[in-house]
Amino acid sequence: MAPLLNVAHMTHFFGGLRAVSDFNLTIEPGEIKGLIGPNGAGKTTVFNLITGVYTPTEGTVELEGKNIKGLETHVIAGMGLGRTFQNLALWRHMNVLDHIRLAHYSQLTYGLFGAFFGTPKCRREEEQVVDNSFKLLKLFDIEQFAMHNIGNLPYGAQRRVEMARAMATDPKVLFLDEPTAGMTPDELIRMIAIIRQVHRDFGVAIFMIEHRMKFVMELCESIQTLVFGEVIAEGPPEEIQNNPEVIEAYLGKEDLH
Amino acid sequence: MEKLKKLFSPFSVVPLAGWLLGGFSAVLMEYYLGDLISYYLYLPKIPVLFGTLIMLKKPLLIPSALAYDLIVYIVPIFLVARLTAPLTNGLAALLERMPLWLATLIHLAAFYGVLSTWAGISDYRVLVVKLTMISVILTLSLNVINGYQGEFSCSHPGFMALGAYASSILTLLLFANDKMFGAPLLNPALGPYLFPLVLVFGGAVAALGSLIVAIPSFRTRGDYLAIISLAFLFIVKSAIENLEIFGGPRGMSSQPNYATLPVVFSWMALCIWVVHNFTTSVLGKALNAVRDNEPAANSMTVNTRKTKMTAFMFGAFWAGVAGGLFAHVLRYVNPGTFGLNKLAEILAMVYFGGLNSIYGSIVGALSISVLSEALRPLELFKWIIIPLILILVMIYRPHGLISFTELNVKGLIRPRNKARQEGGE
Amino acid sequence: MDIILQNIINALQWGSFYAVVSIGYSMVYGVLMLFNFAHGDIFMVGTYIGFGIATLMLALFSAIMPGWMIFILVILVTMFLASFVGVFVEVVGYRPLRGAPRASAAITGLMIGIIFETGNLIILGAQRFSFPALIKSQSYNLGGIYVTNVKVLIIAASLIMMLSLHLFIKKTKWGMAMRAMSYDFLAVPLMGVSINVIAPLTFAIGAGLASVAGILYGQAYPVLDPYMGIQLGWKAFVAAILGGRGSIMGAALAGYLLGFIEMFVPLVFPSTFRDLIAYSIILVILTFRPRGFFGMEHSTQLRL
Repeated sequence: MAPLLNVAHMTHFFGGLRAVSDFNLTIEPGEIKGLIGPNGAGKTTVFNLITGVYTPTEGTVELEGKNIKGLETHVIAGMGLGRTFQNLALWRHMNVLDHIRLAHYSQLTYGLFGAFFGTPKCRREEEQVVDNSFKLLKLFDIEQFAMHNIGNLPYGAQRRVEMARAMATDPKVLFLDEPTAGMTPDELIRMIAIIRQVHRDFGVAIFMIEHRMKFVMELCESIQTLVFGEVIAEGPPEEIQNNPEVIEAYLGKEDLH
Repeated sequence: MEKLKKLFSPFSVVPLAGWLLGGFSAVLMEYYLGDLISYYLYLPKIPVLFGTLIMLKKPLLIPSALAYDLIVYIVPIFLVARLTAPLTNGLAALLERMPLWLATLIHLAAFYGVLSTWAGISDYRVLVVKLTMISVILTLSLNVINGYQGEFSCSHPGFMALGAYASSILTLLLFANDKMFGAPLLNPALGPYLFPLVLVFGGAVAALGSLIVAIPSFRTRGDYLAIISLAFLFIVKSAIENLEIFGGPRGMSSQPNYATLPVVFSWMALCIWVVHNFTTSVLGKALNAVRDNEPAANSMTVNTRKTKMTAFMFGAFWAGVAGGLFAHVLRYVNPGTFGLNKLAEILAMVYFGGLNSIYGSIVGALSISVLSEALRPLELFKWIIIPLILILVMIYRPHGLISFTELNVKGLIRPRNKARQEGGE
Repeated sequence: MDIILQNIINALQWGSFYAVVSIGYSMVYGVLMLFNFAHGDIFMVGTYIGFGIATLMLALFSAIMPGWMIFILVILVTMFLASFVGVFVEVVGYRPLRGAPRASAAITGLMIGIIFETGNLIILGAQRFSFPALIKSQSYNLGGIYVTNVKVLIIAASLIMMLSLHLFIKKTKWGMAMRAMSYDFLAVPLMGVSINVIAPLTFAIGAGLASVAGILYGQAYPVLDPYMGIQLGWKAFVAAILGGRGSIMGAALAGYLLGFIEMFVPLVFPSTFRDLIAYSIILVILTFRPRGFFGMEHSTQLRL
């Protein structure tokens, strides 16, 4: 059987610049994988290539054996590839509940006519969406903020809204782009628990970019290290931690700070 | 401010139904006693617009006009509303147990009763009310594009013109005997019944036209789209000016009188209802997401192209309907109407009232329309005062007076006497 | 052939007005990333100031000074006075709205424009004024093409203005700050340049240029009216966007392009088609080149 997500020989050029070269990735159901690398290594570009923000110049990207390369972002997302963003991409004038509701967009079938005239079908589906949204809100412990404007939430809660929103798209693979960026140690511990919970309850596979080694070590079964668009090492966390090349490119640099 | 709150606190128990009843008694009183009261107050006739016109024209009559307002409107409304509060609260509680749509319809009917009685005093009032309601449709529809969807579209008068011309051509061709198209093709008696279809046709033409603006919006947003939409407006206007078969710059006239008060009122109510349904649904929330962060919307499975196209076509459709009503209210259209002045007026209503809000659009359309009627005697100075008010609103409330709210019909019509106990929920 | 050459001259003259006025839009746009919808009316006010100064100067100095000297004097004094109009618009309509949604600032600009028009009507009444001729018009026949010295002057003066503005922006400290501002609005104040100096300066320069355009306009089309800024202003605005955000050269080029379109359309089509065709061309250009001629790769997200 084909793996859940299969990326093979993915290469991308921005103009003449090779941003990502020969990137390979397979994710099986329920796996947690990590992608690390120094700033500017092209980690977010890898995310954007797989999720369809850009179309890779070369290579194949398959989700459950179906080609998704070249499809539009919202189609890919609807097929089961959820994501979060590095710098919180929330909708500033919307409340928390609406964030989660909207992520059900592709699961609705009532169409525009239903939306205009509030047909029974529309109302039924909308009620389901609200119910499901509240379940997610409860799970992520942000239920009390449901009617608050997103801007009034503390940072950690905003991060959780983003996770909940990604889960509302009903993903099979969840891409997390630096889920702990800017978090306090307390929030960090909470985030680990939440990711574990999401992984356990939804059985979703996770692929994350992360800077904090401790966090990655804690959660991931396998880690890839990206430097200048190329994977220089791949393996279980302990192996990566002791890989001299990785230490030089990434950890070594970190030590200088 | 505190004192003001205290002054109004006895009235916090009055439900919407009570205010409607108060309003109804006031307009009834004006209807039967208005002439008498104005006679004793030395007013030449019933003041048409709350006496504002007369106050500005003849400052000596200011006390009389104010007294008239007090006697005919303020005192009866507040008195009746407060005195009947126990009764109307009971009524509201009764209505609350009915299905929401029925309760809403009853309130709307009552409101229409008040409005038509008030407007029945003079043709001028009827015209002002009709034009204001058309402005509400226009403002709401532009708010969908500029507020909910967050573009800066300048093409609204163009959409309106498309609707106005399309529906005028249809009614003149089908139901009217005029010099442009000759004898009617259908029995004119059918006209009023088919008029809704004519308006829908006008709206559809406008919606199709809006594709010219919507399709570029897939690639660009903000300023460039603003120019594209502006160019569209000028193109429509200048195309109509060059179409001699439709009267060219002289326009078209003698449309049949189908846009009566109840017709315009129903269309406004329908528009508010549909806009409300749409903007509170997930498909409508997609507009906000596209506005606030398009890439994120895309990643959350939202089809942003379809969303943008929907917003434009939806907004344009209602602008087209408003245009059709406008043409049949004035029974005359010419391309000059749909120029930059109209654009400035609609933009002013949207941004004054508030973005992303149905209340805001209603308030904006109402205040700007009534203000510009009420200040008419000031002539030129009107065009200093209204812009100044708008500048102040923009400075102190950049999103407009009432922005980012949702219409809450249930909350509006609920009984008020038990509000305190249940307030906690 | 003659007709075409003749029209090229006319188009250059007509395009000069668009070019100079659209630069005012473009500069404000480049620095503040905002529409200055009042600019067309700033042009109108500038023209009226020019008219006042010209009448005054002619009355005072026509006996003792040669015509060209008066002309230059009028231009300088008008520019100076008109720049305050620009500063006024910035301080009243735009400064309080910094950080507010951009559309709101567009509305204040629009409203200030309406106030200018109405204020003019209230103060000066409905009577039409005629701009006094500062230059004695002379017509030359160059092989079948008629060229007046006024036309040459308009074209030359516009080019000189644009060139000196270009030098100002490229060579001076202030110009540098303006350019920096159009790259990164937030970083420049960190460098010790106050936006509260640069923004009014930009408005002032735009207004000064527009007022000179107004004087030149008055030489070619002497009848003044309070709404003269609307048509010309909106077209110049469109040209500014067409040229590309904040690009002065783009704005000027687009201004001339618009002039050419408007002068050459009547050769082929009835003249009532002028707007229709001009705007259709703009629509097509912007649909396929959404950033205009020289637009920068900016985020086109509207801040709401």
